Amino acid sequence: MSNLHLLSPELALGGMALGLMVADLFVAAKHGRLLYHLGWLVSILALVMVGYTISNSAAGQGVGSLWAVDPMSQFFKMLILLTTVLCLLMGLEYKDLPPAHAGTFVCLLLFSAVGMMLLVSSVDLLLTFVALELISLTSFILAGFERRNHKSNEGSVKYFLFGAFSSAIMAYGISLFYGATGTTRLVGVGHDGGPMFLLGLLMILLGFCFKASIAPMHFWVPDAYEGAPTPVTAFLSLAPKIATLGAMVRLFTVLLPASAFNLTTLFVVLAAATMTVGNFTAFFQNNVKRLLAYSSIAQAGYILIGIASGNTIGTEGVLLYSFVYVAMNIGAFAVAQSVASRSDGAGAYDLEAFNGLARRSFGLALAMAFFLLSLSGIPPLAGFIGKFYIFSAAVQSGHMGLAVIAVINSVVSVYYYMRVVYHMFFKPAADETPLAVGPFLYGGLAIAMAGILAFGVYPEPLVASVQASAQYLP
Amino acid sequence: MLEHVYLIPLIPLFASLVILLGFKEDPHSPAPYLGLAAMGWCLLQAVSIFWGVAGGRIVLPYEASINWFPLATEVAGKAFSYQMPIGVLIDGPAAVMLVVVTLVSFLVQLYSLGYMHGDSRFRRYYAFLSFFTASMLGLVVSNNLLVTFMCWELVGVSSYLLIGFWFEKPGPAYASKKAFMTTKLGDCGLYLALLFIFTKVGSFQIDQVREFATRGYFGMGAATAIGFGLLCGCAGKSAQWPLFIWLPDAMEGPTPVSALIHAATMVAAGIYLIAKTYFIFLAAPIAMEAVAWIGLITAFLAASMALVSYDIKRVLAFSTVSQLGFMMCALGAGGYTAGLFHLTTHAFFKGLLFLGAGSVIHAVHTNDMRSMGGLSKKMPITFLTMLAATLAISGVWPFAGYFSKDMILESVYHHSPVMFYLLTAAALMTAFYMFRLISMTFLGPDRDHEKHHHAHESPLVMTVPLMVLGLLSVVAGAALAHDGFVERLLSFPMPQTPGPEFPRALGLGVSALVLCSLALSWFLYGRGDFSIAEAVKKRFSAVFNVLEGRYYFDQLFLGLVAVADGAAKLAFWIDARVIDQTFVDGWGLLMRVFSELSALFDGLFIDRTVDGFGGLSSDLGTGLRALVADGQVQEYLLYAAIAVSLATIFILSR
Repeated sequence: MSNLHLLSPELALGGMALGLMVADLFVAAKHGRLLYHLGWLVSILALVMVGYTISNSAAGQGVGSLWAVDPMSQFFKMLILLTTVLCLLMGLEYKDLPPAHAGTFVCLLLFSAVGMMLLVSSVDLLLTFVALELISLTSFILAGFERRNHKSNEGSVKYFLFGAFSSAIMAYGISLFYGATGTTRLVGVGHDGGPMFLLGLLMILLGFCFKASIAPMHFWVPDAYEGAPTPVTAFLSLAPKIATLGAMVRLFTVLLPASAFNLTTLFVVLAAATMTVGNFTAFFQNNVKRLLAYSSIAQAGYILIGIASGNTIGTEGVLLYSFVYVAMNIGAFAVAQSVASRSDGAGAYDLEAFNGLARRSFGLALAMAFFLLSLSGIPPLAGFIGKFYIFSAAVQSGHMGLAVIAVINSVVSVYYYMRVVYHMFFKPAADETPLAVGPFLYGGLAIAMAGILAFGVYPEPLVASVQASAQYLP
Repeated sequence: MLEHVYLIPLIPLFASLVILLGFKEDPHSPAPYLGLAAMGWCLLQAVSIFWGVAGGRIVLPYEASINWFPLATEVAGKAFSYQMPIGVLIDGPAAVMLVVVTLVSFLVQLYSLGYMHGDSRFRRYYAFLSFFTASMLGLVVSNNLLVTFMCWELVGVSSYLLIGFWFEKPGPAYASKKAFMTTKLGDCGLYLALLFIFTKVGSFQIDQVREFATRGYFGMGAATAIGFGLLCGCAGKSAQWPLFIWLPDAMEGPTPVSALIHAATMVAAGIYLIAKTYFIFLAAPIAMEAVAWIGLITAFLAASMALVSYDIKRVLAFSTVSQLGFMMCALGAGGYTAGLFHLTTHAFFKGLLFLGAGSVIHAVHTNDMRSMGGLSKKMPITFLTMLAATLAISGVWPFAGYFSKDMILESVYHHSPVMFYLLTAAALMTAFYMFRLISMTFLGPDRDHEKHHHAHESPLVMTVPLMVLGLLSVVAGAALAHDGFVERLLSFPMPQTPGPEFPRALGLGVSALVLCSLALSWFLYGRGDFSIAEAVKKRFSAVFNVLEGRYYFDQLFLGLVAVADGAAKLAFWIDARVIDQTFVDGWGLLMRVFSELSALFDGLFIDRTVDGFGGLSSDLGTGLRALVADGQVQEYLLYAAIAVSLATIFILSR
């Protein structure tokens, strides 16, 4: 175990998460916000540690028995931690979380982040499974954290049932995999490509699909997302998805490339189905949170195209799109939260609640418009560059049909994103009082906005870091 | 000047941002003057470049670029890093378009000072106008097809903002959505075509793609596919059949915006892009022929629809669609010079017609031509300038439209005489409906005394743009056609194709027919007595109904939207709504058959998961019914189990 130091960011974060849980006992409920502050500061500390391993690759990177710490994993870890920070900032401004359990909330969120960090580094199915379970168990609780809220409970239970189902499938897949190859290690697998091996691989894939909300394992998403506290929704729609897709990139383009087993068609079908289901179902949503939930299914479908393509630009596209996706999706959820989560309890997530937002808080409406336009891939926002990478990857790998479906999907998505914009700008507001938005939410929004604007116009730094990160160790 | 040409799109962009972020909404804010000053500067720069080109001091094409970001690329099995150079490419068409766009935009902004005076969102209007023009200018100068596409999308976004500018009314809000979604539909094809080009060439730079295409590396199939994709995008943007449905509605926006859209910015983009990527069409004769026919169909259909409309702006909107069809047809028939020449002259007289119509609407506060009439004495400047534009668009010598339309007919005749006759019919209809517009608006007795009484000539700030464009509508054609200048400026090297030469007598015949058409129009509508016209309308009411119903294309599209809507509802229903019993039972049965067949399934998978989960979820479901609405979780799990089974079958059956 001499390479345990490779996991020092994860260990540090986990340790501090435990510390926060203990600290919860000593902090009075009215000072609960303190724990949120500690939480995001701790995440930033972990972020710095990950950054250190990137700059000192000799000391900070390497291969362990179960894990590989390489530029690829560190890129995703930074994204996960960034998401965690932003979600905790959102949580600071969220009115419906019980203040008495701030320590538990932060601790669970951080543990979830630890699980994701382990997942993207994992090169052994044992660690993969444990990491996925760590993410799942914490997510179930987080989704149901508003215990007084009926919907929150409902979503959480559905999420749990579905999670149990897919865990079973995945565990079964792992056992088949072990039966076929005699190992759970993913590096240098002496595979025979027989039916048992393929079935195992398929079931492992479906387990991943559950976490990444890829069709056909996406059914839990709308209910869980709608019910969960909004900061948790933002977190669930980003971090586990990105971490899982990161793990999938490692597994299905490098370690056991999908093309080697003629599984590319399966990925193409999954990507096409996910995009189409997400976009077409989002069409009718009159609840912005549900709309964003379906949109996030579609977004996962776009990212999956990069894995289905299996070429260099596809892998880079997955990384790049993940980054951009974090910025635009968290921004959209943050605006939705500030419309709905008000101390007087008058807010709602209905489209009607967004009426005339431009007159109430022009800045918020403009930011939301930019996030939604970026999600639909309108230039010159960062979402356009992300989609461009993904679509180019599909065309360059010869999947013309997939590209056609993707482009048509992106047009469909414009329609429902524009519906929100239409309500914000073109409908009269019921009351025109400006919204009160706290400084931390504004901070998070500003970061996200700067990201989509700057990297849309000048993507060079992002592209350079993505290209540097698309490297694996084992 | 030429080395700073990149400033032309950047200055209005900057101006729009400053207006939007730096000024307060206030009727006396200096925001409009900032927009005007920015556009004035661009106009000066564009004119100086054009002047240099005309005088031979500037040699085209000029290209300069910087690297944007590196892109991992793989072309024909060779991996490399594409540096994505972005920059400017100024050739003959670009030099002309720069002048056209900046001039029309400048005049429209000047005119808007009067027309939009007192509007509560004056500042926002100017910010959007500047942004709109900046996007179009970016599209014109870009040397990189990806950047062209980005500007193309921005043109779409800003047209959405401007058409829906008076969003309190339902009409503009609907029209802007329709325009945006229709053009976006076309953009699908364009985007795919560009991605395909990149995959083939490994570059987005226009000159490299051109090099690739002219050497014939594309191959017929690829070039045809790309050509149709490009055509799809251009048909959306330039309102060609069958995607033309958005343009007649787009007149819901403020009239100066219509002038800008119809003359210089939005709809010109499609024609311009076809011209920019002409080499692709030369390599794909089928796509080229499709361009010609789509243009022809559009020109004919739209002209016939304009014959029966009573809304002054709608007539002009149909007229634009029709004229764009002329250009498209010319490009498809190999008349590169003719198409672009007509784009230029059309910008002047169509801009003028819309601004003139705005002046009339400003005076009488209605769009309905039946309530107008006899305005020529009240509004002499508007009348005279619009008359000049009408003669120009009809193609009467020596007005501007004569030269370009003549050139189009000539090249189309060279390509196919059948097309020539159909296009001539469209040209005759053009003369008829345009003079009908003039007659009903300005000639004859006044039909609405009150409106007529209050009518007055517009202020100078609105009539000066009319006069400038009026002058250009008269002289631009002759000036550009003089000494073959336009052939030198707007030329494209292409192989000579055999075809019949255009007989001069035929040209004279067309001119004579145009005059007859004008006279007929005056006879029917110009004397204040519509009885003959009404009688004709009654006699052919079936035809009129079809024309007034715009050939029912809108209904067709609404039907298509309804189908898509149904598909989405279906997806929604499958995804989240109550389960269909037969579907599930059917699946159960099918699953049982499969499990009988396959011992693997039977033992390993189906029974354990489906049954196990059925049992588990029914146990849990009883306990959690209070929490879980409608028992949907079981359904979800069942769907997932079905999907898992399907995937398994897929894997194992290979």
